[in-house]
Parts: sequence; C-alpha cells; structure tokens
Amino acid sequence: MNSFQMAWRSVIRKPVKSILLFFVVLIISLFFLSGMASRNASIATQNKTKQAVGAGFLMEANEENKRDRADEILAKKTAGEEGNFDGVNVKKIKTEYGTSWSVSYDNSFQTLLIGDMEKIAAVSGISEYNLTTAVTAVNPVNFLRIEDDDVDQSSDLLCVSLIGNKDMALDANVLSGNVTIKEGRMITEEDSNVCVISEELAEKNNLLIGDRMQFNDRRNVENATIFEAEIVGIYKVQQKMTPIMSGDTYRSENIIFTDLGFPEKAEGSTSGALYEKAYFKVADVNQYDELKKEIQNVEIGWERYDLIDNNGNIDTMSQNFNDLENVSQILVIVVAGASLIILFLVFVFWMKGRAQEIGILLALGTPKIKILGQILLEAFMIAVAAVFLSFTAAPATSKITADYLVKQQVQKAKEQSVLEEGKVAKSVEDSEATVTGVSVVVTSELMLYDWFGVALLVLISVGAAGVLIARKNPKDIFSEIN
Amino acid sequence: MVLEVKNVNYAYKSQKQKEILKNVSMQFEEKKFYTIVGASGAGKTTFLSLLAGLDLPVEGTILYDGEDIQVKGLNYHRKHHVSLVFQNYNLIDYLTTEENVRLGGTKRSQDLLEKVGIPCEDWQRNVLQLSGGQQQRVAIARALASNAKVLLADEPTGNLDENTAEEIIELLKRTAHELGKCVIVVTHSKYLAAQADEIIMIKDGYIESVTEFN
Repeated sequence: MNSFQMAWRSVIRKPVKSILLFFVVLIISLFFLSGMASRNASIATQNKTKQAVGAGFLMEANEENKRDRADEILAKKTAGEEGNFDGVNVKKIKTEYGTSWSVSYDNSFQTLLIGDMEKIAAVSGISEYNLTTAVTAVNPVNFLRIEDDDVDQSSDLLCVSLIGNKDMALDANVLSGNVTIKEGRMITEEDSNVCVISEELAEKNNLLIGDRMQFNDRRNVENATIFEAEIVGIYKVQQKMTPIMSGDTYRSENIIFTDLGFPEKAEGSTSGALYEKAYFKVADVNQYDELKKEIQNVEIGWERYDLIDNNGNIDTMSQNFNDLENVSQILVIVVAGASLIILFLVFVFWMKGRAQEIGILLALGTPKIKILGQILLEAFMIAVAAVFLSFTAAPATSKITADYLVKQQVQKAKEQSVLEEGKVAKSVEDSEATVTGVSVVVTSELMLYDWFGVALLVLISVGAAGVLIARKNPKDIFSEIN
Repeated sequence: MVLEVKNVNYAYKSQKQKEILKNVSMQFEEKKFYTIVGASGAGKTTFLSLLAGLDLPVEGTILYDGEDIQVKGLNYHRKHHVSLVFQNYNLIDYLTTEENVRLGGTKRSQDLLEKVGIPCEDWQRNVLQLSGGQQQRVAIARALASNAKVLLADEPTGNLDENTAEEIIELLKRTAHELGKCVIVVTHSKYLAAQADEIIMIKDGYIESVTEFN
C-alpha cells in the first residue's frame, strides 16, 4: 500500500481529526482571503454636494495619490535639500524654536492631466466636456469685494476667488441650477479674458456688461502685472455657494467665473494651470451605465483620479480610508502568525495521537521521511478541500470583514475629527462624504496567493511537528506506547 | 545460521553506567523456535529490539546472513530481514484486516489470513472489530507477509486467554517448522517457553543458559 492510499484511508476513516483540521484550515483560509480582499477593496462613497452631476461624470484628483506621489518624490531627494522637486516645493523655515520644513505642491503636480481628460472626452457617447480650475484667490485691483463689516479682515487674504471654466454652462454650480445668468451670457470655450460676476459684486461696484475688471497676483500686489477681464455676464444664486475655506475671499458673492486660462495668468502662476475638475456630459442617458464601464476601461493612470457618477458615488481606492490597507495587512500577518502556531499544535497532537501507528510503520521498515510524507499528504488532502470551500464562502466573509474594517476606519476618522475640531482647517466638502458601499472582489490571483499561503503554513507546521518524530528511535516510541 | 549476535553491550543513553545487556553472544538458525525468558528488567525485550533493528548496541555487532545489519541500514533490516509481532498486536486502527496484512509485504494477504484462521467475512472489517486472539493472528499474518527469514515476537500471548494463547503458540511453531522461519519469542509464560526448540535464559543482562530440546 503506498503513502497516498494510506493517507486517503486515514483521512476518510478517521473523520474527527480530519474534520478538526478541515475547519481550522477553512477559517485560516477565509481570514487570509478576507484580509487580502479587504486590502484591495473599492470603497464607494457619496458626497451630497456632488450629487448634481446630472447625466454626466465628474473627475477629480485623488488626494491620497497626491500624497503617495509626493512621498515617493521626497524619498528620492537628498536630505536637507530645498527647492522644487517635480512639482513638490520643499522649503526650510527657520524659527526661534529651530528649523522646520514646509512642503507644498505647485499647479503642475496637482492638476488633472489634460491628455487624460481628452482621452475620456474622446469616448463615444460623451457629447461635451468641461474643465474647471481650482478656486484661485487673486487681488482685486479696480473694484471692491463684498465684506462682512463685523468680521476682522486682518487674517483674510483680502482677495476674490476666480473659477475658470472651459464651458461655464457645464460648471457644477450651473448644472445644479444654483447659479443662473441674470444678465448677459455664460462663458464659452472661444472666450478669452472674460468674466461673469455676482449681482452683489456688480451692484456694489456699479459694474455693467462690457466693463473691464482688473486683477493681479495677491503675493505681490504692488508690482505684479495687472490682467483685465471683460464682464460678459452677471449671475445670481438661489443659495449661497459653499465656501471652500473661511474668510471673505471665498464667500459666494466674491466668486467670479472666468475663462479657463484666466486664473493662472491673474495669480501669476509659473507652474501652469490647476485643473481641479472635469465634467463629461453623456449624450444618451439610457447608455449611462455602459458608458461608465467604457470610461473606466480608458487607459489612463486611474490611481490619480476619482470618477464620480450621477449618484455622487465615488469609486476610490481603499487607501483613501486612512490606513485600511495597513489594517488589512496587519490582519493577514496576525492570521499567518496565529495560524502557524495553531497548525503546529494541531500537528503535534496528531503526531502524539498517532505514535503507535508511527511506531508500527517504523517497525515495518518504513523510513521516517515516508511517514512524514504520508502525514503531509493527509494534511494537504484536507487543506485542499477546506481551501476550495473557503473560495466559495470568501466573497461573503470578505464583504463582512471589509465592511467591518471600513466601519472601524470611519468611526476612527470621526473620533479624530472631533479631537481636531477647531484645530485643523479643512474643506467643508470633506464632512459631506459618506460610505455607501464596500465592494470586495476575491480574484483568482488572491485565491492563488491564499492557496500558496495555506500550503506553506501546513508544510512548515508538519515539518516542525515532524522534528518530534525524527529525533526519536523506534524503540523509544514503543517504550512510550507500552 | 541466519542471525548472529556478537559481544553485544547495551545501555540507555541517559544512564550509560547502567548496562542492560552485557557481552551477549548468540546464534539463531532457521526452522527453529526460540524463546527468551527471564525476570522483568533482565533485558529480554531490549535484546529483541536489537535483533529487530529498533535500536543499536553500544558495543558489538549483529549479523544477518553473515553481514552486519548496519551495512544496509536498520530500515532495510526491519523491512527485509525481520518481522515483528507485539503483545498489544500493534495493528493500524483505520485499516481493514486485509489492509493490515498487506502492510507487511507483497504476499497474498487472503491466503495468509486463511492460514492463520481468520474467516473471510472478517477480512474487510475494521481490524479493531476483531477479538484479541484474532487481532494477534492478523499481526502474525502481517509478519508472515514479508519474505523475512526471522520472526520476532514480544509476549505474543500476554493479552490472550489460555485457549487462544495455545492456538497462537501452535501457529508460531508451525511458522518455524513448516515455513522454515527462525522464530524468536520473548515470554514470561512457562508453557510457551516449554514449546521451544531452544530456551534462552537472560539474567541481569547476561545469557545465563541456553537449553536445547531435541
């Protein structure tokens, strides 16, 4: 009778020990798969302020990716070096308490890549698209901004905000119906050096269509070049636009819409424009879901972006959820460590419980390595069955695990937010994001990793437990039995 | 002679000063039935273990057909030269009667089971479902399944009632005289010892006497 036949009979005819190992391996495998799948989970979030996308898609830069790219760049630079490194500005600040470092990104580092946006715009089914710049604070030269008389303006930038659009009719504020033209017209792609201002700003400065407004770089108001934009329209709002930061610079009335190229000129940017959002209008709303899939198949560096659909859903990488990746990684490592100990103990008990059988086989002249091989075969037979069952159960357990981990992360973020309240400036939009779903996919690659992981653990555990046999001679084993 | 023990000394590794076997020499022939007797702790089972290649002597040599058993290795010796029968049968609990016999070697297991008197309806039963006497017969059948010239048995009737023990002794005698094997049995039973062709008396690690019957 060969080892395989012996192993098979042992597995089938000694069901208690087989079932015990089966469940141990099943649980280990499920934890492995859940941990690995959670690490790659796609978290869907909903942002209430972004629900007005309508029949289109919105693209924004992925904040976590920005930080990752910056970290990579900074890791390559020499310690103590100052300057601009591929769009990341590093500056040494000397204070009376010592030296500290300031890290900021320039426009070239943060902007949506125009080439990528054009690739998406070229997808069949996209009828029009718009690019919107970041809100840009510039100095008002020949007009007065709206200010709250009761607020001390000493800490404010004393600026107005410019938002450049390729096609203003597709700006999020216009699409939502909040901003409408009261007089004049919106800005189109062909326009240059034009603006649309709020009715409050027009009234305060007695500005009319055709008048020219002047702006320059807020960091050098005395000497910076002045740029002029002609007023082509005056807008009104149903509700005040949500400011991105506190202070009158960003208040709704001081927001001025311009053509796409104007903000970078007015702020005196040396690193190009900062395109913050791109909107892609869908020609046929019935094709919305198919078109979304087609867009997601466009070959661009998706890790740089968040694609937001008409429900405000954002399919982002799990990295955006604080350290979900790290938590999942720790889960996998802890499971591996604990599994090794548990499996080792299981096999030690196996070996001890089978001392008589091992002694008999040794007495029959079976080499120790062949006996260990039989035990390893038995373990693999059971492990294969357990791992295959875990593959079928993994999607459900992975979902539960990922949901749990995300919930923990959200809770942690909330607690952190409470602790930091009033200490850290943050965008109002941040608080609007809520998790609407966690999508976990157990891929065949993960299954392969899982199988190799389990097989390795079984191999190491049997090997380690087998040392107990290898050290004994047959006479000692029979003495123990007797 | 098939098996020869030359000037063998044995002590436990942990208690080297306490010698279990002292300068033991003995020769064993085929077609003979030997019994080894002596008080508990005299070194009988240790002597049998050394003959079986379950352990190595501290000094001296054990020869099989004139060759030191260490030349081909103890595993080889256990697999091809000797077969073992134990007091507590030592059958594998998850195998059937027939499968246990097949573990012993390539000889036809069913013929052997017939020879040792196991009815065919018990061949496919789990071996633990058999009675003690039947289990010992299966153990003997397993020992006979190999081509080994030497059959070693440690207290083979120790757990059996008188009638069954007699049947097992008869089976062992037939194995020696009819099948031509060298059968060496360690026993406390005077009755069993008296059935042997030669009785080897061990006392305090020495072979005190060898009594031969014609």
